[in-house]
Amino acid sequence: MIKSRAGWSHRALMLLLMVYLLLPLAATLLYGFAKQWQTTVMPESWTLEWFGEMFRDLRFLEALWTSLYLCAISVALSLAVMLPAVFVITVYLPKWETFMKGIVVLPYAVPGVVAAVGLIRAYSGGPIDIAGTAYILIGAYFIVVLPYMYQGIRNSLITVSAVELLHSAELLGASRKRAFVTVILPNIWPGVIISTLLSFSVLFGEFVLTNMLVGGHIQTIQVYLYRRVGESGHLASAIAITYFLFILALSTVLMKLGKKMNGVAEK
Amino acid sequence: MSASYLELRGIRKMFGDSTVLNDVDLSINEGELVTLLGPSGCGKSTLLRCIAGLTEPDGGSIMLGPTNIGELPPRRREVGMVFQSYALFPNLTVYENIEYGLKMRGADKKERQSRCEELLALVDLENKKDAYPQQLSGGQQQRVALARSLAVQPKVLLLDEPLSALDAKIRKSLRTEIRDIQRRLKMTTIFVTHDQEEALTVSDRICIMNNGNIVQDGSPEELYAKPRTEFVARFMGSYNVLSREEAGRLFGVAVGSAASYALRPESVRLLPASAGEARRDRRVADGTIESISVLGNIVRYSVVSSGVKLTVDALNDGQSHRGEEGAAVALELDSSQLLALEKEGA
Repeated sequence: MIKSRAGWSHRALMLLLMVYLLLPLAATLLYGFAKQWQTTVMPESWTLEWFGEMFRDLRFLEALWTSLYLCAISVALSLAVMLPAVFVITVYLPKWETFMKGIVVLPYAVPGVVAAVGLIRAYSGGPIDIAGTAYILIGAYFIVVLPYMYQGIRNSLITVSAVELLHSAELLGASRKRAFVTVILPNIWPGVIISTLLSFSVLFGEFVLTNMLVGGHIQTIQVYLYRRVGESGHLASAIAITYFLFILALSTVLMKLGKKMNGVAEK
Repeated sequence: MSASYLELRGIRKMFGDSTVLNDVDLSINEGELVTLLGPSGCGKSTLLRCIAGLTEPDGGSIMLGPTNIGELPPRRREVGMVFQSYALFPNLTVYENIEYGLKMRGADKKERQSRCEELLALVDLENKKDAYPQQLSGGQQQRVALARSLAVQPKVLLLDEPLSALDAKIRKSLRTEIRDIQRRLKMTTIFVTHDQEEALTVSDRICIMNNGNIVQDGSPEELYAKPRTEFVARFMGSYNVLSREEAGRLFGVAVGSAASYALRPESVRLLPASAGEARRDRRVADGTIESISVLGNIVRYSVVSSGVKLTVDALNDGQSHRGEEGAAVALELDSSQLLALEKEGA
């Protein structure tokens, strides 16, 4: 094992970075528990009132649930489409890769507002009239996570040298389908889990598209948060912290799951 | 001529506009180890992949015994392959890797077990059977790959630069081991390499490839002693390749009609300059040593004589004349060692 020997300057830099990243979070946490916090460094008095109010509000739990299942459906759909698609492109049609690389960065190139307006125009009326429904949102979410899914799956395939593994398996008598299931899938699984997780987090925090596409009809956690910020900063802090903890828990569970599935290989 | 076991006829492959394989014919007998030797990009790996079915040739036929395997998918060809990068399945143990092919072919558990034990013993990895590939050294991984491809008892074994990723010492021991196993199993084998020393040590027969053609084939001795073209002469060793004019100058007589000639570096003897007068029975030329490099058991001199630069190899036995850089020497030349070369592509 290589022991890392970080000098004090490295440690100081890391510390500074951690402070920079965690300070806003810590402040939000404190604000969520603060009753009086005006002229002092630390809050003058504490309360659980804001968290209490949040959990008493049925709309919060509803919004959380809505976000959860919309994101889950979108990511699952993306996984179901992208996994075989990227596999086929990387292994059998490498000529298409340049084309795909261009396509998957499009979501970055088009600003959320522009995309939302375009989508609403295209899908209100006409043969596919789904503006304002969950369908259009799931469709948009699919596009949003495209870059993460494509790159993640593709990198995993390249890292494990999928083409050579597949060829070996085929020469040993496996059909393509069986080779994919027995050799490719177990090896790219950790990478796929990470992409899925990343996509999920991105969607969970998505606000612009969601608010413009379905803001009036469907309340996701971000839309809800936006509505409540105006009412009380303390309450919004409580919501943000809860939301953060939720994502943290979800990530941990998925990571553990990924490790467990990969446990056969790592042991 | 006995009927060959694996017979390639007119294999052609283009990648875009460039011809990678130019109507290649190749016959291999059962139990023979044939090496495809050539510089990178000469088409040797592509030819191997065509036999395995991983690359589809644009034309030609591949017969294995009575079967035209050119039309079958890779998994039905009964061909085993070992890759340069090992391509072991990282999610499976050594044992499971070897077992994989048997499982895919529906062998029952008892048969799988006995076959795996047998192969683990063959490659001497019994104590590593529960290890994962990433826990093994490169040499061990390649031995697992070999065992894995042998497990399904292929009719032909293809080795695609199997030793290129290993360090020199392991490479030498593993190539002996591969040759040993191949002989014991009488496995028909095609070995691809760009290393002429490797080819000379393991092969029954060597096919030298260049620009998508097999330019010469024969036993290692034949190829080393009688290169037909300049390309083979340069590739097979450190042959001195001389133009007709240069050869004439060096030997002091008109040498023949070929455009170029090859002279083995070990056929030239280095003598003290004073010895020049003493040997009238042979052609002795004056020269100057330009550089000396010691290659272990051989000392390699670069000598200029009559304006021709020659490589001269002498045994490093402490007995033959040792000149120093810049010193004048006499070269003893034997015109019977001069090999006429054919024109490229003739």
